[in-house]
Amino acid sequence: MNSCQQAERLIDYLLKQLTDEEKKEYETHLKSCQLCRHELQVEQAIESELSVELQPGFIENRIRVRLQVRQARDMRSLWMYVFRMVVYGVTAALVGIITIPFLLKLPIISFTDLGKYANEAAELLGQIAPVNTFLIIFEICYVAVFLASMYSLAQIRR
Amino acid sequence: MEAISDDFENLIQWAKNGDERAMTRLITIHKGLVFTIILRMTNDYDASQDLTQETFIKVFMNIKKVKNTDHLKPWICTIARNVVRDYFRKAKRNQTISFEDVKDLHGHSEIEITRKRIIIQDALAKLAERDRMLLTLAYYQGLSLKEVAEVMKMNEANVKVCIHRARKRLRKHLEGYEHELLSAS
Repeated sequence: MNSCQQAERLIDYLLKQLTDEEKKEYETHLKSCQLCRHELQVEQAIESELSVELQPGFIENRIRVRLQVRQARDMRSLWMYVFRMVVYGVTAALVGIITIPFLLKLPIISFTDLGKYANEAAELLGQIAPVNTFLIIFEICYVAVFLASMYSLAQIRR
Repeated sequence: MEAISDDFENLIQWAKNGDERAMTRLITIHKGLVFTIILRMTNDYDASQDLTQETFIKVFMNIKKVKNTDHLKPWICTIARNVVRDYFRKAKRNQTISFEDVKDLHGHSEIEITRKRIIIQDALAKLAERDRMLLTLAYYQGLSLKEVAEVMKMNEANVKVCIHRARKRLRKHLEGYEHELLSAS
């Protein structure tokens, strides 16, 4: 390695970071210092290699085709995202509409009517056990959430 | 067909509007820079081809974010750097490259292989990712120190210090090869 005290200035010289005055001073030093001259030659050899721009060949068309495919895929993902959000939103709203009055023990007239009809239907069908309306609606909601999640996962994986 | 100008402001504006000729022109102007960075970082010719394409896909998918044309080159370099990092992360590769990778590069006739190139690439491969990136950018003729600082997310003074250190580390790996470097074509 170069043990000259001016060695530190070499990289600044190569990166053109010296002022005109410093540059002149360093060039004068180079004339008298063999160590720095040798180091400069090695650095120039490194620089001449590392400054070479390597070329990948003709890739323009391939990039454009890949870009179109990616954009189409992203657009599909966007629609899938919107669809998922709508499914989740509607399901959450349904679950909320059902569970909140139930938890707060509020009267649910429409559900009672539904239960009445369901029980009549069950009696007609000859079933002994009465039908629990809430249970049916909960089960429908859970099945809907489960199916929506499965469908979303399948779309994401695809 | 109407010729397309090299005015960056117009090219970017047209590319934002999806003009394919502007995109092609931007790729042609910058592909050498991107490929050089990626190849020096990975030393894998096939992966570099693929990662260069990936870089440009990311560039065009985010081109609407470009406000100032002065930042285009450092922005593209930053994307290339992130693409390389993702590649290392996904491939669970160590960010330093083995000598085997350097030899893989030599199987490609598209890149002229000289003894000097082998020696320097091998020394570069022994450096850490940040040093390799710094030296690649610093020695690349088309980038200013300010642009290098922007890519490396450092201030200019820090970049200078880090280049000094990286150069010293590279030089250490080249000890004993000086004669070959000076005599090799």
